[in-house]
Amino acid sequence: MAAETQTPTATVLPPPRTEVGVIGWMHANLFSSRLNSVLTVVSGALTLVILWYGLRWIFGTADWTVVKTVGGLFLIGSYNTELACPGQNCFWRPQASLLMVTALLGMIWGIMGGGVARRIALLAAVVAALFAFLPYSLERMGWDVRILLLANLPATGIGWALARYTPLGQAKWAVVWGVAAFLITLVLMRGIPNVPGLQPVSVVYWGGLTLNLILAVGGISLSLPIGIALALGRRSNLPVVKLLCVVFIEVFRGVPLITLLFMSQTLVPLAFPEDFPQNSLFRAAVVITMFSSAYMAENIRGGLQALHPGQAEAARALGLPGWQTTLLISLPQAIRNVIPAIVGQFIALFKDTSLVYIIGMVDIVEMGRVFISRPEYLGSAKEMFVFLAIVFWVFCYGMSYISRRIEIHLGVGQR
Amino acid sequence: MLNSDKTLPRILTYQGIPVWRHAQILQWAAQIASAILVVALVMWFFGNMAFAIEDREIPFGFSFLAREYQTPIGEHVLPYESSDSFLYALIVASTNTVVVAVAGVILATLLGIFIGVCRLSPNWIVSKLATVYIEFFRNVPLIIQLFFWFYIILALPTVRDAYVILDWLYISNAGISFAAPLAGGIAPAVVWLAAAVAAVVAGVLVHHRLARREEETGRPSYPFVFGCVATVGIAAIAWLVLSGIFGESPFSISTPAPQGRFGRIDGGATIRAGMLVLLVGLVIYTSSFIAELVRAGIQSVGRGQTEAARALGLSPMNTLRQVTFPQALRVIIPPWISQCLNLTKNSSLGGVVGYTDLFNVAVTMTQTAPAINIFLMLMAAYLAMSLTWSLIGNLYNRHIGFTG
Repeated sequence: MAAETQTPTATVLPPPRTEVGVIGWMHANLFSSRLNSVLTVVSGALTLVILWYGLRWIFGTADWTVVKTVGGLFLIGSYNTELACPGQNCFWRPQASLLMVTALLGMIWGIMGGGVARRIALLAAVVAALFAFLPYSLERMGWDVRILLLANLPATGIGWALARYTPLGQAKWAVVWGVAAFLITLVLMRGIPNVPGLQPVSVVYWGGLTLNLILAVGGISLSLPIGIALALGRRSNLPVVKLLCVVFIEVFRGVPLITLLFMSQTLVPLAFPEDFPQNSLFRAAVVITMFSSAYMAENIRGGLQALHPGQAEAARALGLPGWQTTLLISLPQAIRNVIPAIVGQFIALFKDTSLVYIIGMVDIVEMGRVFISRPEYLGSAKEMFVFLAIVFWVFCYGMSYISRRIEIHLGVGQR
Repeated sequence: MLNSDKTLPRILTYQGIPVWRHAQILQWAAQIASAILVVALVMWFFGNMAFAIEDREIPFGFSFLAREYQTPIGEHVLPYESSDSFLYALIVASTNTVVVAVAGVILATLLGIFIGVCRLSPNWIVSKLATVYIEFFRNVPLIIQLFFWFYIILALPTVRDAYVILDWLYISNAGISFAAPLAGGIAPAVVWLAAAVAAVVAGVLVHHRLARREEETGRPSYPFVFGCVATVGIAAIAWLVLSGIFGESPFSISTPAPQGRFGRIDGGATIRAGMLVLLVGLVIYTSSFIAELVRAGIQSVGRGQTEAARALGLSPMNTLRQVTFPQALRVIIPPWISQCLNLTKNSSLGGVVGYTDLFNVAVTMTQTAPAINIFLMLMAAYLAMSLTWSLIGNLYNRHIGFTG
């Protein structure tokens, strides 16, 4: 009689309580060792204190009247005042520009098909439309303006539909539209002489966030190509070209931006004949762009240096001429490798646009400073700067978020 | 070969690649063209400038440097009087910038390393706090942060109602005053400082020697303890001897004390509000960038290194200090240098918070002296500072690079 071997029925025990669920997570992440427990308690207490005082300040002690009072002036500065635009309402011009931007975002959403692009497009449209419901302190803010702001929602939709259902749904058309929108914005803001409704507005009245954005968008879109050219020039084997590029890059990188900005307003006018048409905003934009492209050149040079020489050699062996090797083989890979640095430079450029107040331009920061220096808002400096910090933070963090998504999309570091 | 070839010069019988497609000729043509273009442009600019200088009688020349500046400089490290010359005033302003830059770099690096290591901590709260710190401070323009700290300091109580800690530390809207050593007399102070340097050297030598012995023999020799004992011992003996010879100790501690009705603080050392705001702003802003560099650097070291170090029995702290961090330095140093450079250049924003740095003083000077020359000197000064940073960085980089 064969002994029956009795296999014990396997009971699958649940994992220990301390390893799964909330407790497991806390054990792994907060209390894994004695030191960690101490750190958790200390930093947790610190967080609670900061949160407690921070929230109490934001919702209790802080007096946000000054921020509410400035209101729409944050966006356009003194553009729509009687001085800048006598006898008519010019508010519709920056707003028409905004409509073009939201349409562009909608178009990008249609091309990229959902994801980040959708979120950004919808967020921008909703925020822009919400402005229509804010109680503005601006004079001469009528229903036309509010309707224009509300029109941002359909504009996004139209951009999306155009990209989706017409042959315009290609990246190159989005780029064309983007460039066109930027140029149209400049013309709209500047105005055309002798055209009713488009009377010229001097650039000294351009201000607020619009000024920051115009400087940033212009600088970003020009500093990348100039930076690429400088980087290639610095790596070329033509001694004269190389020398010129090195001098340009090192001089612009070695000097603070505000020095350059200041010189652009005091010395650069001297370098041109007196009757030469000049424009302080244009000079500032050129200086910011050149400063930024010097940095951009070094970033891209880093990417080119990190590239294995075998890539260029293989391209040459396949018979590609030099310029095609550079444009089609080296540059795309180099740029892909340094996307974080490039976007970092874009962010730095956007932050640097806040320095134009040094040369007397009233950007969003200076607009805030003008108000807190008034006697009735004397104690509201903290509120103002916290608000400004949040505005800049949203834009800059948004850019770095997009850059991370692009990196994942392109699979950087995955090969 | 035809006879006619010999009679004609070579250039007329050239039969190689057509000139308009010859790479070398094209390259040289492009170079010469660009050189001519740039030179022409520069000459046009300078020509216009020279014309403007003459036509509009714009002051020009370096003769102003010897003149009296006759304007006070709010904060200065070097001694300064209003009757000093422009040149000396510029030197004073440059030292102000250098002091902030050096102090800022040291503090920002320490804080940045701390935050960067926190960012990688296995502790969830610590790591999230560090992330919030980094993402907030590096995405807000420095100028806004400076204004914010400026108004925070301004909201502190006046000197008369200053926060006082143990009578040694006064915090008010005029700045921070703290107890500091005060030299008794010049001779004993200098001699003792020399002795202190000698003591440190001796301590390092002792440490080196004992560490070597420990390594060779395996016997515990406590190099750190004996090194410290040697340093402190020599310094203390020098102190006692000098006190005996000169009848007073080389240094005494001077504590800050408010004087008079309006609350001027005498004694101790004071970091005035302008410098304080600038330092706080620069350090916090730059440390958020350095923290990110440190994180990326540490993450670039292979996991195997950490695991091997842990397997050998090194504690997490020692793993970081002796294995991971030295290797991460290779990745961290080059971008760290450009952060130092940025900090130095960003210190030119000192003027907006009331600190008399180089840029601020130079801009004030343009009201009484030729602007063109001042800006030339300003650019030269900042370029010199930038090049110094690059030089330090490159030397250090060569020092820690892979050998062989």
